[in-house]
Amino acid sequence: MKRKLSVLLIVAMLVTMLGSCGTASNNKGGKNNSKSSGNALTVWCWDKNFNIYAMNEAAKIYQKDHPDFKLNVVETPWDDVQTKLTTAVTSGQTGTLPDILLMQDNALAKNITNYPKTFVDLTNSGIDFSKFAQYKVALSTVNSKVYGVPFDSGTAVTALRTDVLQKAGYTINDFKNITWSRFIEIAKDVLKKTNIPLLSSQAGSPDLVMMMLQSAGTWTFKGDKLYISDNPALLKAIDVYVELVKSKVLVEVNNWDQYVGTFNTGKVAGAMTGCWILASVQANKDQKGKWAVTNIPKLDGIENATNYSSVGGSSWLVLSTSKNKDLAIDFLGKTFAGSTELYNTILPTSSAIATWGPAGTGSNYEIAHEFFGGQKIFQDIVEYGKNVPKVSYGVYNYEARDAIGTAITKIISGTDKAAALKEAESTVKFQMGK
Amino acid sequence: MTKRRIGITVEYIVLTIVSVISLFPLFWMLMSATNKSTDVLAGRILPGQKLIENMSNLLKTANVGQAMMNSFKYSVLTTVGSVLICSIAGYAFEVYYTKSKNMVFNLLLISMMIPFAATMIPLYTLFGKLNLLNKTLGFALPSLSTVLLIFLFRQSAQSFPKSIIESARLDGAGELRIFLEFFVPITKHTFTAGITVAFMSNWNNYLWPLIIMQSPTSRTMPQLISGLTSGYVTDYGMLMLAVSISILPTVVVFLILQKNFVEGITGAVK
Repeated sequence: MKRKLSVLLIVAMLVTMLGSCGTASNNKGGKNNSKSSGNALTVWCWDKNFNIYAMNEAAKIYQKDHPDFKLNVVETPWDDVQTKLTTAVTSGQTGTLPDILLMQDNALAKNITNYPKTFVDLTNSGIDFSKFAQYKVALSTVNSKVYGVPFDSGTAVTALRTDVLQKAGYTINDFKNITWSRFIEIAKDVLKKTNIPLLSSQAGSPDLVMMMLQSAGTWTFKGDKLYISDNPALLKAIDVYVELVKSKVLVEVNNWDQYVGTFNTGKVAGAMTGCWILASVQANKDQKGKWAVTNIPKLDGIENATNYSSVGGSSWLVLSTSKNKDLAIDFLGKTFAGSTELYNTILPTSSAIATWGPAGTGSNYEIAHEFFGGQKIFQDIVEYGKNVPKVSYGVYNYEARDAIGTAITKIISGTDKAAALKEAESTVKFQMGK
Repeated sequence: MTKRRIGITVEYIVLTIVSVISLFPLFWMLMSATNKSTDVLAGRILPGQKLIENMSNLLKTANVGQAMMNSFKYSVLTTVGSVLICSIAGYAFEVYYTKSKNMVFNLLLISMMIPFAATMIPLYTLFGKLNLLNKTLGFALPSLSTVLLIFLFRQSAQSFPKSIIESARLDGAGELRIFLEFFVPITKHTFTAGITVAFMSNWNNYLWPLIIMQSPTSRTMPQLISGLTSGYVTDYGMLMLAVSISILPTVVVFLILQKNFVEGITGAVK
């Protein structure tokens, strides 16, 4: 009897569970599940405190003139955005894609080139791209067509602990508009006097070198041609990086968490990358008032070298599979490309610094930031952003970056620089199918 | 001290060191769940005072209850389904005779070498055409037949006394009855091992749920944890708490079933 009862219970459980298989799970189900209709839009982006917050604030502003407008923000980590997009487009099941998605600038050109019919050409959409920082517009321009509405700035900054500098007899002004050779000279002195290195970096990550490269207005491609082993700015940038490591003024760590930990815990006295790092810098409230920001050093002896660059950042793209393309364009045009109020609202909470020129006139951009010793950092960063040289990251950006990262590791381990860069070039050419 | 005692002492020292190394990540995770983010980054391994705050932040940031329920629902469904299907398949591969069964079985084993990423897009295309996107059935189907489980049950069926099957058949028992009333109880260790392996694998499944279940309300725990690390600033204390919570069901399943797990993996029949 017991056995029969057990079998009966198992069968009942299976029937119940399999019965639920036929039904959609808590959503509309099937094709077009995430597609919006009427006055609603679906957006994919990934940071609750940053871009999701910004999108929701944009919706509130748009709703003032369009009370029926609805926005459905789906939290989707960047890696997942890329996986879902690739799977949907490759399989032809585009019904699951949203109306708008946020994309990392580093991946923009490749996605647009690989899936040109997936994204809406916004060149003649009515959005005035001349009001954005032109280096940002250049990153989402493919074949002279603009596909992305720029969002957050990746303007590069040097953020330093003023209390540590003070112990060594320096101020933040000693780092303003300097060259890399001067930076290394001061950093060595700070290390000698305080025993604290100024910088840290993830081993194998080419971010710092790529930042130096863009500051000189060049990149790893010249048109379609690979520009690595014969690129003077890249050769110089690698020399600078190797010198930073060998002189121990830059500490290499294994991953991103350790990288953030180095400056949060006081193991190093600074961070040099895109301005979005300032949110992580502020994580340790005990360091309030002890930080300041300035521009980055420029490469010595390199033509067109500047003290300005960009790392990271992202842009909004409209999907051509959207049933509400016009609404999506109008929404982005009236908010991220047309509302000073939006940027002024999101700045204090999210530190999302605009690349849309008029946003810089918002009152919050003039705030003296307490964590940074009363410095008007937002105003300063907007100014730096205006000077960032335009470059095109190109289709094989990630491949080139990875190859350069590997080459740097080999050079630091003792491999000849020319040989390592030739190998990097061969690797990228192989990946390009050339 | 005799040679034997020295040997035992060395053995215990080695085992203690290996145990500490194995348990340290788990210990560090639990300690980190009670600390603030900067303390985690600083490598603090002592208990902190921030457990309640981390819990409060986690509940404000993410819908943990819904993600746990989703993970639980999908894992139980796929575990029950896969153990049922794979046990029957493993039994059939061993007990019934067909000329090509070994060839088919070898093909199945070879298919284990194909990474899921390679079959993901064709599967997604197929499921899209079958209108199974965002459906629980679409989620479960690829996990219902697992070569590893079929292999495990076939191994178990190999050591299952065939004379029992023959006697049962002579006594007039049907094939389903033989399977349910003889094979299942006698090889219960294998079922235990199968349930443990399938539950853990399905609970930790990330890629397929990510692309097949597109709705935010269908998020599983691995997806929720991935979301917590996707921002520009990560709260590591909160993250470690979420990870600690997410491993609880697998720990409970393992602790309940561990007694029979090793015997099941080795295919023992009692």
